[in-house]
Amino acid sequence: MRRLVSLAAAGVAAGLTLTACGFGGDDSGSGGDGDGDGGSTSLDLLVPQYSDGTTALWEEIIASFEEENDGITVNLEVQSWDNINDVIRTKVQAGQAPDILNIDAFSGFAKDDLLYPAEDVVSAETLDDFQESFVENASLDGTVYGLPMIASARALFYNQDVLTQAGITEPPATWDDLLAAATAVTDLGTGVYGYGMPLGSEEAQAETSIWTFGGGGSWSDGDTITVDTPENLAALEFMKTMIDAGATQPDPGATDRTPMLDVFVQGQIAMAVGLPPTIGQIEERNPELNYGIAPVPTQDGSPVTLGVADHLMAFRNDDDKQDAIRAFLDHFFSPEVYLSFVDTEGFLPTTMSGAEGTANAERFADFLAVLPDARFYPSTNEAWAATQGALQTLVGQIQTQDAASVLQQIQASADDA
Amino acid sequence: MTAQTQTRPGGRPTRRPRGGPSRWGALARALPWLGPTLVLMAGIVFFPAGYMLWTSFRDLSQFGVDNGPAGFDNYARLLDFTALPRVLGNTVLWVVGVVVVTVVISLGLAQFLDKAFPGRRLVRLTIIIPWAASVVMTTTVVYYGLDPFYGIINTFLVDVGLLDRPYGFTRNAVPAFFTAMGIAVFVSLPFTTYTLLAGLQTIPPDIREAAQMDGAGPWATYRRIILPLLRPALAVATIINIINVFNSLPILQVITGSIPGYNADTTTTLIFKFIRADRQIDTASALSVVNFLIVLAVILVYLRVVRPMRED
Repeated sequence: MRRLVSLAAAGVAAGLTLTACGFGGDDSGSGGDGDGDGGSTSLDLLVPQYSDGTTALWEEIIASFEEENDGITVNLEVQSWDNINDVIRTKVQAGQAPDILNIDAFSGFAKDDLLYPAEDVVSAETLDDFQESFVENASLDGTVYGLPMIASARALFYNQDVLTQAGITEPPATWDDLLAAATAVTDLGTGVYGYGMPLGSEEAQAETSIWTFGGGGSWSDGDTITVDTPENLAALEFMKTMIDAGATQPDPGATDRTPMLDVFVQGQIAMAVGLPPTIGQIEERNPELNYGIAPVPTQDGSPVTLGVADHLMAFRNDDDKQDAIRAFLDHFFSPEVYLSFVDTEGFLPTTMSGAEGTANAERFADFLAVLPDARFYPSTNEAWAATQGALQTLVGQIQTQDAASVLQQIQASADDA
Repeated sequence: MTAQTQTRPGGRPTRRPRGGPSRWGALARALPWLGPTLVLMAGIVFFPAGYMLWTSFRDLSQFGVDNGPAGFDNYARLLDFTALPRVLGNTVLWVVGVVVVTVVISLGLAQFLDKAFPGRRLVRLTIIIPWAASVVMTTTVVYYGLDPFYGIINTFLVDVGLLDRPYGFTRNAVPAFFTAMGIAVFVSLPFTTYTLLAGLQTIPPDIREAAQMDGAGPWATYRRIILPLLRPALAVATIINIINVFNSLPILQVITGSIPGYNADTTTTLIFKFIRADRQIDTASALSVVNFLIVLAVILVYLRVVRPMRED
């Protein structure tokens, strides 16, 4: 009997340890080392990893900043995109938010009243340099909180050789063209799939947005999240038509974007929506690929693309640091520093001076051309984060379920948030 | 271990402490030695568990800001979750399937490794290797092997003619779930086998000899002599496996992570989805509490029904 009790106790203890989830203390230690003595301030900077060179790039920027600004040190923390949302959530819960954060969405932090308005942490000159559409996308209730940092847009990559083989002369401009072209490729019977549709959890929200935006739909009417609308339903039903017609790769519902683009690069998929960095991937992994870039096909052929902007934001941890934050952000957005960042990482600039000076202008001409028609996620809506999660988790089900019920499920998650 | 069990009668211990005050005295004398362990247990076991319980009754924003008490709202949201029955069913299948298959295979393997044969050491080493590799690593190798576009296993199956074209083993809920179960069995085998092997080696050879003298065949010896004596080792192996398998996230995460919907989720991966996708830390805490209660109940039922520590 005693043995049983001790064994059960061991079981309980082990169960507890294994089931217990993470926690954060309530102490609000903002790492205020050095304030008060007036001499030195340290800033915590948390950034995601865009590429293998991200850390070195930031270290260079920080070194040049510290050289010009005596007494300010910047502590860099680089996290993968997979982890950064968990890291920031844990830090905020523990009262240890970084001073400056680089991430996609800012509105949740702004709603929780954690951020400085942009005008408090950068000079007016820097603020005026951003392109209008990006500033709008970075505001919440009329106040700018995020500093648009990099932009990216989507376009259709197509394999010229395969399309020629299937008798397609022009890249598709409308959904019907796309369906016809993709089916023609599949019908060749060479094992090459027509259109790559990544609806796996990695970035299903992007692929779905490209289709819904392309059919005149949207995710928000300003205040509420509108997933379940006739326009969005039409878009999802057309996606389902593509899947059912065999115009896509098998099992699109569980296909993640990154590995799928590798399959495109290897020539096994004829068409897929890609990003500016896709060009670099093709150069690196299969330079022989004979490919072209065209605007994303839409329902009626009118130009629309999905734009994504990442932002820099400053957390209101400790008012003593505001000047140091301003100095750092102004340094980052000074044209030469900013352009070296954008050009090295291979993104599109969000500032007007940057658009003129970027070395990527020619390379990314196809993307810069569609940027004026870019539409964004409704990331200023508080419920968007949960909606995005629901899209990632659920939208792939259109492969086996009817589109209407999938949309209803996602709408329910959005309403619940 | 077994011998010790047999010498101790099932009733009360014969030596009793000398009475009240000195018992407390004994406790006080023991405290300095127990102290560090108790502090450690409080710090890494009871505090996080308590904090989890507390969180499950709070209303937390997506970014972890505490908006006050929530009563039972988080639990109510769990009950409203339409996929819950499927997830619970998956969890049962996952735990029972993986643990039963693991224990059965391990019993055979342990029996095999207990025999003397040339190269036994090498074989024993081979069996422990899956344990030395990280679970995520093992799982990722299988995941890429099964990839329909460039997976070596899929290509092999097509080449030998078993499949007409590559199949999305990891792209559909049911095959992916069974693939994950297979991997879970594979990575659970080393620990279970070694626990049972250790148990087998405590059985004195003369007991087997005695059974043989009495004319018991190999199967009868195994069933009536070996298996009962293995019971404590089996109990440990089973309970540790239940806890471990129940809380296992990485295998399912790697294999079924990109599958839409909840058809391939267990309660543990659902906690992960609540946090990562739905940003509901509070609901995830509530499910963690429920998860903990389930594993506790499973172990208690196991101890009651199977009575692995029974001595007869």
